[in-house]
Amino acid sequence: MPSFSYNDMTFTVAPRGDRWDISYALPNGASALVGAGLFKGLAEAEAAARARALIKTIFPVGIKSVGPDVAHPNTIGDLKIVGPDVTHPNFIYWTKDSVSCPKQL
Amino acid sequence: MEIKGSVALVTGGGNGIGEAVVKHLARQGARVAVVDMVQKNIDRVVKDIQDLGGEAIGIQANVTSEADTARYIKGTLEAFGQLNIAVSCAGIIRDGTMLSLDKETGQVSKKLDLAKWQAVIDTNLTGTFLCMRDAAEAMVNGGWEGLLVPISSVNKAGQVGQLNYSSAKVADALMPKIIVGEFLMRGIRKIRCVAIAPGYTATPMLTGMNQEALKAILEDVHLGRLVAPEEIASLIGYCVENEAINATTIEITGGLCYPKGIAK
Repeated sequence: MPSFSYNDMTFTVAPRGDRWDISYALPNGASALVGAGLFKGLAEAEAAARARALIKTIFPVGIKSVGPDVAHPNTIGDLKIVGPDVTHPNFIYWTKDSVSCPKQL
Repeated sequence: MEIKGSVALVTGGGNGIGEAVVKHLARQGARVAVVDMVQKNIDRVVKDIQDLGGEAIGIQANVTSEADTARYIKGTLEAFGQLNIAVSCAGIIRDGTMLSLDKETGQVSKKLDLAKWQAVIDTNLTGTFLCMRDAAEAMVNGGWEGLLVPISSVNKAGQVGQLNYSSAKVADALMPKIIVGEFLMRGIRKIRCVAIAPGYTATPMLTGMNQEALKAILEDVHLGRLVAPEEIASLIGYCVENEAINATTIEITGGLCYPKGIAK
């Protein structure tokens, strides 16, 4: 049953009959499914490789930059305070911190 | 087109109508991609599909994002190798009248916020456009038979307090005519487009509302109850299998009428 880490998450590829389920560990210790019943008839190594490729597509790593929302400034007197454009499609609401700490330089 | 063996992706597949569509198609033997904003809803629906013995993947995505759209299409193709059915269920409401007046002065006291307008247009119209466009691209390039299903609404007729929502949904309802016309012009014969316009449906959004208000709504529905999401899913399944249904928008409302019994 192949298991691997990617993007601070641990994924497991487990057989179910002649198919494969991909799950990942949740922060609370439970697990959730990325996919169920995939890659019919594939051997373990090939299923694991396909799973890795699929996971890299589903859970992309990277930083998205978001422009300021200049249309909706908060004003204090003449001062305009501009926040990020939360309606921009690249804006992400982070709901949890990464489990990895930044490296200390 | 047979549902069994086909590959479907459903935006907004994590709850409401989208969840019902995902489960209906999976029960009929389709492989399904559940696309939604809320990961815990995705996790629940994919688990349910696993329990049904089906095949599914879950992809968290913002349908208003071109990059996310490309990603959920790519993920579907990587998992299943093809795409045949795309159902754009993701939708939101941000209700409010265009103008509100001060009762004492009669002057405008409030305008519909641009953010409320834009969010609904982005999700309900642009999100549907991106899904239809990129799904069709994949189907054409893959040479697969396909069905595109924008989800409109009976409120495409124009619902007071929903200028944003009705504007988006009337545009969604127009898509099949234009898309199929363009397909004919370009010689694309294997892909159809059928929009579905549900009436008041038993999704969490409606069942959780004020029950007195809900009762008043149901007085104008001939069926006397909300439409079940599963009934809409069943209609979509029928559209998949009946190739003669094309370039049209089908209402499923239970018989929504104006007060005094005139059918809308």
